[in-house]
Amino acid sequence: MKRQWIRNILGGLTFTTALFVFQACYGTPQDFGFDLLVEGQVKSMNTGLPIKGIKVSVADNMQYEITDKEGCFSFYTELMEILTLHFEDIDSVQNGAYVSKDTVLNNTNEPVYLEINLEEK
Amino acid sequence: MTPKIQRFLFRKFKESEIKLHLLNYLFWECTTRCNLNCLHCGSDCSRKSTFQDMPVADFLNALDTIKNPARNFTVVFTGGEPLLRKDIEWCGREIRKRGMRWSLVTNGHLYDLQRHISLLNAGLGALTISLDGLKESHNWLRNSHNSYDKVIQAIEIAAGSGRLNFDIVTCVNQKNLNELGRMKDWLISKKVKAWRLFTIIPIGRAMNNPELMLTDIQFVELMDFIVESRKNKEIDVSFSCEGYVGRYETKVRDTFFFCRAGINIGSVLIDGSISACPNIDRSFSQGNIYKDNFYEVWQTEFEPFRNRKWTKTGPCKTCAHYKDCQGNGFHNWHGEKNNVLVCHAEKIEKAKQISIPG
Repeated sequence: MKRQWIRNILGGLTFTTALFVFQACYGTPQDFGFDLLVEGQVKSMNTGLPIKGIKVSVADNMQYEITDKEGCFSFYTELMEILTLHFEDIDSVQNGAYVSKDTVLNNTNEPVYLEINLEEK
Repeated sequence: MTPKIQRFLFRKFKESEIKLHLLNYLFWECTTRCNLNCLHCGSDCSRKSTFQDMPVADFLNALDTIKNPARNFTVVFTGGEPLLRKDIEWCGREIRKRGMRWSLVTNGHLYDLQRHISLLNAGLGALTISLDGLKESHNWLRNSHNSYDKVIQAIEIAAGSGRLNFDIVTCVNQKNLNELGRMKDWLISKKVKAWRLFTIIPIGRAMNNPELMLTDIQFVELMDFIVESRKNKEIDVSFSCEGYVGRYETKVRDTFFFCRAGINIGSVLIDGSISACPNIDRSFSQGNIYKDNFYEVWQTEFEPFRNRKWTKTGPCKTCAHYKDCQGNGFHNWHGEKNNVLVCHAEKIEKAKQISIPG
């Protein structure tokens, strides 16, 4: 603890906090982790069964994931004040046909678990 | 505060960093397979590697020995070309589950939109892509007729992400030195925020190719280019931490030179060896994850990295810069280790003597 104090004082006196942010010669910049883990499961509102093949996408962002056979999805995405997730059936009638749905998350910076129910068409 | 006092305090800061030796940057050489055969490759990687890719579980076992990882602890996937592995995303998720972060160094060939999304989904946080010149000189160095087009596409995709802490690295050589201005303009037009410039040190395949090395005068041209470029705030141009640069210190990067290999930077190499940056001579390995506890090795070994007095040999023995340089970047010590491979400060001094004869 004492060493940490000395380090911080010396670092501060010498230059700036840039001293504590570094990258190796052939490495990447450091990651400051401004993202959010979004996980969940998509089920049918009518049967309660999980739905495979639903595209879960982030508005204003190119990221998306497709639900697996358990209807589950999990991805990290950029931290935003308002995060809009779009749930869309993209495989026609292959795993049933469902109405699309949007979910909005406000000021979230903790991992989120969502249970989404989609209505059958 | 005078520069002399600043330098003194910085030396004290380095001493305290060495005593703490907080591990917060870990390279994983996850493969030595590569889809390119670059002229300058320090790792001597190729399409056919003599090593099998290390199983993710073996690496995670080593990672799990780390007690209380540092707040910004990052695993950096390197190679070879890491994207040749199909399980990078799975491994990335496992790293994130452990409260750690991860990033990737790539040549960009396999970095298409689909892979970009899948890497982001898995929690990728930082990315470095190599661009080594305009089309002709990039393809020359990369020894490939279509590398440039692929890299350009990868850069455009990555630069569009607000999430990634992303930069471009360029190995400056005799062919691309005069292209740096045009490269900078292009990078700015693509909204790239950071660009790091390297020189090539004579190891691996680069050892026998003089076209890859800058002359002393050219090296100073590079320093001057960086100094001038840093006045423009549209892109953060910097010289890598590869070496001490004398009078250019703090003018070509944010802080004084500090080689953190073995102090904050560790690695798990393809054969399980425990070391620091992957371009460091493999004889400096401090243990092996297949027989040692990784974190115990980090905590108790690494003496040559944390006490560099042994580098006070050859020209370094009497050098006036030694207090600040301490033998230059650690990767400059290879073979018999009785002489530093490249002395950047000496190159700058020699160039000065050439330009002011007598």
